[in-house]
Amino acid sequence: MDTVVETRADNLRETLWRPLRGASRSYMVALAVTFLLGALGLGCWSYQIVRGIGVAGIRRPTMWGLYLVNFVFWIGISHAGTLISAILRLTDAGWRKPVTRIAEAITVFALMIGAMFPIIHLGRPLIFFWLIPYPNSRLLWPNFRSPLLWDLTAIVTYLSGSIIYLYLPLIPDLAELAQHAAGWRGRLYRLLSVGWTGSDRQWRALERAMHRMAGMILAVAVSVHTVVAWDFAMAVAPLWHSTIFGPYFVAGAIFSGIAALLLAMAIIRKLLHLEAYVQPVHFDNLGKLLLLMSLLWFYFTISENLTTWYGNSPAEMNVFGSRARGPFAPYFWVMVFCNFVVPFLLLSSKRVRSARTVTIASVTVLAGMWLERYLIILPTLSYPRLAAATGFYKPTWVEISITVSTFAAMTMFYLIFCKLFPAIAVWEYKHDSHS
Amino acid sequence: MILTADFDDPRSVASAIVALQARGYGAEEIDVFSTAPVELAQVLLERPSRMSLVAVTSAVVFGLSAIAFVHYTQNDYRIVTGGMPIFSWWSTGVIFYEFTMFGSISATFVMFLLESGLLGRRRAVPVPVLEAGRIHLRLLCEAEDAAPAADCLYQAGAASVEKMEEWA
Amino acid sequence: MEHRWGMAIDLDRCTGCEACVAACHAENNLPLSDPAEAEKGRAFHWIRVDRYYEGEFPDIRMKYMPVLCQQCEEAPCEPVCPTYATYHNAEGLNVQVYNRCVGTRYCGNNCPYSVRFFNWFEPQWPEPLELQHNPDVSIRPSGVMEKCTFCIQRIQRVKRDAKAEGRPVADGEVQPACVQSCPAEAMTFGDLNDPESKVSRLAASGRATRLLEDLGAKPKVFYLQRAK
Repeated sequence: MDTVVETRADNLRETLWRPLRGASRSYMVALAVTFLLGALGLGCWSYQIVRGIGVAGIRRPTMWGLYLVNFVFWIGISHAGTLISAILRLTDAGWRKPVTRIAEAITVFALMIGAMFPIIHLGRPLIFFWLIPYPNSRLLWPNFRSPLLWDLTAIVTYLSGSIIYLYLPLIPDLAELAQHAAGWRGRLYRLLSVGWTGSDRQWRALERAMHRMAGMILAVAVSVHTVVAWDFAMAVAPLWHSTIFGPYFVAGAIFSGIAALLLAMAIIRKLLHLEAYVQPVHFDNLGKLLLLMSLLWFYFTISENLTTWYGNSPAEMNVFGSRARGPFAPYFWVMVFCNFVVPFLLLSSKRVRSARTVTIASVTVLAGMWLERYLIILPTLSYPRLAAATGFYKPTWVEISITVSTFAAMTMFYLIFCKLFPAIAVWEYKHDSHS
Repeated sequence: MILTADFDDPRSVASAIVALQARGYGAEEIDVFSTAPVELAQVLLERPSRMSLVAVTSAVVFGLSAIAFVHYTQNDYRIVTGGMPIFSWWSTGVIFYEFTMFGSISATFVMFLLESGLLGRRRAVPVPVLEAGRIHLRLLCEAEDAAPAADCLYQAGAASVEKMEEWA
Repeated sequence: MEHRWGMAIDLDRCTGCEACVAACHAENNLPLSDPAEAEKGRAFHWIRVDRYYEGEFPDIRMKYMPVLCQQCEEAPCEPVCPTYATYHNAEGLNVQVYNRCVGTRYCGNNCPYSVRFFNWFEPQWPEPLELQHNPDVSIRPSGVMEKCTFCIQRIQRVKRDAKAEGRPVADGEVQPACVQSCPAEAMTFGDLNDPESKVSRLAASGRATRLLEDLGAKPKVFYLQRAK
């Protein structure tokens, strides 16, 4: 592999650029494993396309299953970048600097993965493009009254916004790398840095653009997850038709996004030896934010469940009972434990809150939030209004394999990203010490 | 004539800029190059921007186009669904909003590329090679004024001043 | 005047024999499921008979309720389809256009009556049943949603014949397969826009109720029963 020429003794650059040189054996093994798992997922999907979506466990009445759970989950994870980068940038929280790029990368990859699921779950996925408005021989446009079209617009907007938002602060770093790298890497960096020279005119334009993007990406992120929530809220199915779904999902997304970011931070810090830059204070601050979101999530969950129970509408109580005491109860209470009890115990007291406990809390939150998506979708579908159609869903190996492969794919994208680009925005970090 | 001066800290760059401005040089002739943004320089050198205006205009244009597009497509082949009107303002609202945001995001990005000069090749003015930890100042001046300007820069605290090639 | 097709089902006459179910299968080329798939909830019954039990043994009263697509005037399934595969036609039918369906299954989730069925695989019939298909009804491919159409092929045929003969469609002339096959004559089909038609009179009678009326979907299947 082409090597990057040694720079002058500069600790930050040295630390951040070292991973970009060469690849250790364990890295190649990890890349190979995640690639194979990802390929396995693609293989399962191909099998599903050829054989028919019946190889998944979905059935009447639970016509949406693991694929939709994963869709909502990954779009939720994608709110990591938005919160950290955008909100913290707008509030000028300086401590965010080492973690912004990690967060923004999570956003882009999680969105790319999440956006695949609406295609994977289609009965006829090869004609998914009929949802795109283009003049066609059917003389037909898509139905913009459908929440699925709102989904499409929102996700396309968010994906392009996130890619731009990841790319903009990367340009100065790429220009610097282009100076020092040779071979294909140098060509790649030169191409991507589009002739950045570091003039104050360019810095001005960059900072202006990023400041505006922060606000806009935040506005888009809120709308994206609201629109995803409205896929369910617009339906008349019991317990889906809830006005609180928009805010509920956005809060849940930010919640799971912070958890994903914390996990990524913990891993990257360890593997790339960034202990000097990703410090306990970051875990502490994000841990406090995680606790805050946990409390917010709990507030929403209580509101949702209390009003349902108090209202005592038969169709809704059917679903409610299945979650509180019925077949879904074990999942429901595990979810509450993972999303509220564990974060509360591990994060509320300063004595208990440490980088390790914060990471443990974030892993449990990720599991809990995945369960939460499952518990939003499945119980309602399993107990339709006409009880004769009641039925239960059991995922098959196809769905489980594809789910696992998306986690592998996420890891693989991340591995490649960290090998090509520095994990911390060098210029932003230096900016602190300059001013 | 192009002069490039190297500085080690932002304060000396700022005093250099002030001194140059006192000699009559404007923001068009002075450029500061660095590996990280230098705030003092940014305050002193005015770079007017139309980014906000263009972004807002673009947002409005995209948003209204979205409404027009949805209106056209829904009426092009009128299909009744679920008792909803053929064109409904409420259900178009989301699409309008997303396109508004898309418009402002794309406009911001394009304006960034334009205002930073990354898009649209300007005349190729030589650019100092960036060094980490150093700030470079480039001055476009007349040949006669090169020496006094260089003195000015040295007085402000430049570590070194070079004359780059004669450039008209 | 446009037709507005509706149906009345007399629950006091229904014996739960499921002849309507069998007739619908035969008329509309419904795919057959093997026991394993049926166990997994993948069986197709465009019309199904739900059984409700009231009371305790030995005083059990059974109510049989044939449930089919209610062809709602304000169907919740229609606005959510991204490709207009389901929409409301001029005769008040909720039509399913198989060619447009990409298989998002949002409509299936949004139907409060759970009357929509999805083709999870390519449909198959054990030999020699594939020779028994009705040529007037298309076979749905894998990945497409389907449901009761009020036997739209029969409606079309009757309308075509009536037009060819230059006369209006008579009341009772259109008979979907289920209506035609009911031995108890519990089902009536007709034009709700015609106040004299049998179905209109039954719908206006004191015994007429509709399923899940409070949802406001305005279904066009009227269930007649003695007590509300």
